[in-house]
Amino acid sequence: MSLLVRNFSKLNPLGSIRSYSEVVNVFGRRSVDTQAADEKKTIATIPENTESVKEVSGHPEVHLTGRLAKIYVPPKNSMQSGTFGTRRWRIDFDNRDRWENPLMGWGSSGDPLSSLQPEFGSKEDAIVYCQRMGFRYVVEEEREIKRRIKSYGANYSWNKRTRVSTK
Amino acid sequence: MNKLIINSSKKLLSSSLNKNILKSQTALLSNVVPDNRIEVFVDDKPVLVQPGVTVLQACAEAGVEIPRFCYHERLAIAGNCRMCLVEIERTPKPVASCAMPVMKGMKIKTDSPVTRKAREGVMEFMLVNHPLDCPVCDQGGECDLQDQAMAFGSDRSRFTDNLFSGKRATEDKNLGPLVKTSMNRCIHCTRCVRFASEVAGVDDLGTTGRGNDMQIGTYVEKLLASEVSGNVIDLCPVGALTSKPYAFTARPWELRKISSIDVLDALGSNIVVQHRAGDVMRILPRLNEDINEEWLDDKARFSYDGLRRQRLVTPMVRGHDGLLKPCEWDDAFYAIADKLSRASGSQIAALAGGLADAESLVALKDLMNRLGSENVFVEESFPGQASGTDLRSNYVANSGITNLEQADLVLLVGTNPRYEAPLYNTRIRKSLVHNELKVALIGSQVNLSYEYDYLGDSAQILEDLLNGKHEYSKFLAKAKKPLIVLGSAALQRKDGDALLNLATRLSEKLRTQNGCPNDWRVFNVLHRWASQVAALDIGYRSGIEQIKAQKPKILYLLGADEDLVSRVDGDDTFIIYQGHHGDRGAEIADVVLPGAAYTEKSATYVNTEGRAQQASFVVAPPGKAKEDWQILRALSDVLGNPLPYDDLDALRKRMGEVSPTLTSYDKIESASFLPLSVSLSQKVKPALSKEPIRAWQTELGDFYMTNPISRASLTMARCVQSFKKTNEPVKQTQANANP
Amino acid sequence: MINNSINKIIPFLKNSPSASSQILVRYQSAAAAAPPKQKKTTFGGLKDEDRIFTNLYGRHDWKLKGAMSRGDWYKTKEILLKGSDWIINEVKASGLRGRGGAGFPSGLKWSFMNKPSDGRPKYLVINADEGEPGTCKDREIMRHDPHKLVEGCLIAGRAMGARAAYIYIRGEFYNESSNMQAAINEAYKAGLIGKNACGTGYDFDVYMHRGAGAYICGEETALIESLEGKQGKPRLKPPFPADIGLFGCPTTVTNVETVAVAPTICRRGGSWFASFGRERNSGTKLFNISGHVNNPCTVEEEMSIPLKELIERHAGGVIGGWDNLLAIIPGGSSVPLIPKKTCEEVLMDFDSLVQAQTGLGTAAIIVMNKQTDVVKAIARLSLFYKHESCGQCTPCREGTVWLTKMMDRFVEGKARIDEIDMIWELSKQIEGHTICALGDAAAWPVQGLIRHFRPELERRIKEFHATHKGHVLDKLAKYAN
Repeated sequence: MSLLVRNFSKLNPLGSIRSYSEVVNVFGRRSVDTQAADEKKTIATIPENTESVKEVSGHPEVHLTGRLAKIYVPPKNSMQSGTFGTRRWRIDFDNRDRWENPLMGWGSSGDPLSSLQPEFGSKEDAIVYCQRMGFRYVVEEEREIKRRIKSYGANYSWNKRTRVSTK
Repeated sequence: MNKLIINSSKKLLSSSLNKNILKSQTALLSNVVPDNRIEVFVDDKPVLVQPGVTVLQACAEAGVEIPRFCYHERLAIAGNCRMCLVEIERTPKPVASCAMPVMKGMKIKTDSPVTRKAREGVMEFMLVNHPLDCPVCDQGGECDLQDQAMAFGSDRSRFTDNLFSGKRATEDKNLGPLVKTSMNRCIHCTRCVRFASEVAGVDDLGTTGRGNDMQIGTYVEKLLASEVSGNVIDLCPVGALTSKPYAFTARPWELRKISSIDVLDALGSNIVVQHRAGDVMRILPRLNEDINEEWLDDKARFSYDGLRRQRLVTPMVRGHDGLLKPCEWDDAFYAIADKLSRASGSQIAALAGGLADAESLVALKDLMNRLGSENVFVEESFPGQASGTDLRSNYVANSGITNLEQADLVLLVGTNPRYEAPLYNTRIRKSLVHNELKVALIGSQVNLSYEYDYLGDSAQILEDLLNGKHEYSKFLAKAKKPLIVLGSAALQRKDGDALLNLATRLSEKLRTQNGCPNDWRVFNVLHRWASQVAALDIGYRSGIEQIKAQKPKILYLLGADEDLVSRVDGDDTFIIYQGHHGDRGAEIADVVLPGAAYTEKSATYVNTEGRAQQASFVVAPPGKAKEDWQILRALSDVLGNPLPYDDLDALRKRMGEVSPTLTSYDKIESASFLPLSVSLSQKVKPALSKEPIRAWQTELGDFYMTNPISRASLTMARCVQSFKKTNEPVKQTQANANP
Repeated sequence: MINNSINKIIPFLKNSPSASSQILVRYQSAAAAAPPKQKKTTFGGLKDEDRIFTNLYGRHDWKLKGAMSRGDWYKTKEILLKGSDWIINEVKASGLRGRGGAGFPSGLKWSFMNKPSDGRPKYLVINADEGEPGTCKDREIMRHDPHKLVEGCLIAGRAMGARAAYIYIRGEFYNESSNMQAAINEAYKAGLIGKNACGTGYDFDVYMHRGAGAYICGEETALIESLEGKQGKPRLKPPFPADIGLFGCPTTVTNVETVAVAPTICRRGGSWFASFGRERNSGTKLFNISGHVNNPCTVEEEMSIPLKELIERHAGGVIGGWDNLLAIIPGGSSVPLIPKKTCEEVLMDFDSLVQAQTGLGTAAIIVMNKQTDVVKAIARLSLFYKHESCGQCTPCREGTVWLTKMMDRFVEGKARIDEIDMIWELSKQIEGHTICALGDAAAWPVQGLIRHFRPELERRIKEFHATHKGHVLDKLAKYAN
């Protein structure tokens, strides 16, 4: 069973391995426009068994038990056009209480999982991860992408309401 | 071990590839027979696409994303940013992929030197007049221009003319209290213009001037008067249009993003609540094709500051001096227990408001039942004669929201969807624009942002339509996929029973006589409150009249803030208010129990189409406030009659027992009891009122403040204020004209 | 439907039929093929009996009576009755190419309109928005020979089965539009157009529409937008106007001159017209000669007349003699200039000028003698294109401004040598990346300048640096790498 983990904190035992398949130096003027996004390379593998790995994760017990993981495909960020973040299965954990650090005003949390958003190539991988970590999980099925056929000529159609009025 | 690795990586590869193939197939199969698909080559990879799709869409099918600024999946094609230029074999120059239809055998090169050079060139031009103020720009960190400049632009600037003549400077526009402009940053993609005219239906935005002097704006400075104006902030690929309330408060990378749902109208729009250190900083829409697509209305988007104001942070008990005094939870509970112990079941009643979640509704009903009371009511009434609330198809939008796009005729009765459910309205508009939908309206003649056939405001029209006497009947009879949308505001009338009766009978008549497809549902109720469908599912009834008549000794208000019950002097009703805002309900209460708002609890809401969804816990309730079901559970303990659930899972199990629809998340349970309901309703012949059917909200100013949260919101107050200011002169002239 | 028709129109976009606009000069796309073998070798000296525009100088009556005495409206009915195929074949045989700048074969273009009707009416739009600096040919036609255009509208309209013709006339052409309107009224009154035009049973209306002063409205799709009452901003192609044009209906936009010569072609035969000029460049043409010549004029001449002969014979030669010539812009401001050496041998037709890395454009010859500040002249053209850019698409909106700013500096020499290469590259970044051809038109004059006058630019820069030590430009050195 393979596992792609994108880790925002230093908790990841996989350390500095980049999870994205090919990020080319932008200064080399190579575009990173998702050309190879589908051919994901496996960056780490774990043996295929059902043994629990909860104990070795290093998380405090209190933050592991009873956690609910939501396995889903993130929708496109409405603020941006890019869809690169919508190609993997991601896990979100139930949110736990956070507070403002009185010293600097930073957001604080006692929850080590709050910074963890693992990403997977498939739903099944995510499920295995949850099972072996001992999380309860819900799977939000991937939504069908609806594309409508768009035509530039419709802006100038003679008898349709798609005719553009303002510019 | 080695073998394993190979196997699993192969598996991953194939599964992800399968996923993509599946994706494209589902997308294509949904509309057309696959036979006429044509083959094109994207970077030498063959893809099958429908004829007529654009090159950009074909690339998306192939998994290649083309950079773009002006192109947006949900807006008309403009083709003016030129960022999407790609090389196509055997064409002399790069082609704007967003507007170019695919042709058979087309060879598209998305990463060739020509393509890259074109992108780099366009990007350089974009940046010529774009200020380098990313560090103080609110779009920084989620800016398409930043990202695409990084990915496709050059690594250095050649623009030296700012040493001599500087960059373009454009005056900022004032579009009202929601949208902040910084027009220097504008790259003239015209997404906002297209959104306003196509989706919002207000032709307020446009371009003036030409060439480098072209500006986006309203020409004469005015409020961007739309209930969905906030979406232009999302659409703007740069920081030219940003959120005014959110300005300079946070950076996108420091925000935690929690998926949730909106409860300020009955659609249950999907949102992302973004918070930092215990504060909700902003709310953005989350893409859900079935409900809100990619849009969000202004109330849902901007009233989050109301979550911080006028909150109930501690339990309170009314003292002898008639003032509410803060106290501990125990004190409040004991005060309640003291009163309850002296009241019999029939003397107790509960009234639930429009923002109550299904969990607390179930807990409250269970508690009331344990106390021997069946008096659980909702504020928003629903006709109870005939089958009324017994049959689910009587009180939900049976056809769902997406089917608006299939429909060919929509008859709106007693509703103004533009303000009651703005995104329902944009759906109607979308269908109107793209599918030649016909819309008719009975009720107040309001501006729906599109043209419709106005039938009048008399309830009699509905009966005439049913009998075929009305001249519009012939259009109804011709419709193959008609929809009837009955606004719940109309059901608050005295003749609500009759209206419901007529509407259901008319719907059933159309369905059976017009040859609709088998699974086509005609009848829809468009609710105004997020809690209503769940409350009716659970078994709440409308009963304001009953409360007023019976004068129960103890009245439990669960977020009931609509001022429907009032405290009369000398009235000895003991009122308990549980809710999150110090609004109208808390004012009249003897005991106040501070609850959680929708961003502070994991809670279930059922939207107007009967779809259960979960709102998420984002930040903790303020002060001593608690999640609502927990308050009820704790109270039951104090009363010595503990409710049988200790955690959410157990409670949700109980909810499933009450009504399975409450926990089948994100599914619409298709209900088809309308024939039964119609046959039951034949027996009752309620009278129609002569009073004209009025819309709940007729103008934009009414839209902003409709519930405790938005009433507490300063932003919403500013919106109302600026709307009034804009419309003052108009009203004056009207007043002058008709003295 | 759209796809199919595009496939029919042009095999895979090889050559765009976006021919007609004033500002559209696509010299590059036509450059590929070698010129065919020529039958004729000398050109020029058009005889009076072969002139089409016999009242070019307004010496005679421009009204219907005068026009008929010059042969207009003669046997128009018979021409119309021969049918659209005959007319189109005749125009095809004449080898007429669009006179608006791009030189797309007119017969072919008109034949695109002859698809089976899908219920939509078809329109003919006459592009009389003559705004290209140096060009003043359509004006002469409309002022002095308006009936040629009205009759042309009818015949071209019949050829494409158009319901009506719209003449979009430049707003500044007040007298022209009033003469035009008078001619249209006369024609209506005489039953030549309108219901049952010329007694053929064919209904055809001609409308005039005055523009509001935008050069870009000479671009065919911008013109259509403007006619529809919207901002004159070009549309993307496809869909081509022959598919979705004015009011969403099939439309052909043609230049005034193209349409105005059609009746004569039909009367005298395509082969007569084809006998002038070189192969593929046949016909007679109105040339506008302006600038540093002794006798600036508009003259009808045979195509392929040598540039030098044209200037010497009709314009009285360059001021100060031929040797005082610096450069010539041969086809209106949007084509690159050519230096004196090239001017000596170049022929005034499409192919020859393309070979000389410029274009025939509207055949508006702007002569510059050695007293000209050529850099300033081109800088002024850049300013013009900056001012006339519609602002819709990025490369043109931003690029024209950038070009102007740099050209202004080049006039003084306030630049660096490597910025010459940079402006060349910038102009290449604009060219071919925009929605319409205005981007190309803005880029080409600059390119022509650099191609032929780079030493002059370098000289100015060196001079400036010699007199301005420690100028802010020195700061730029750090960006040089």
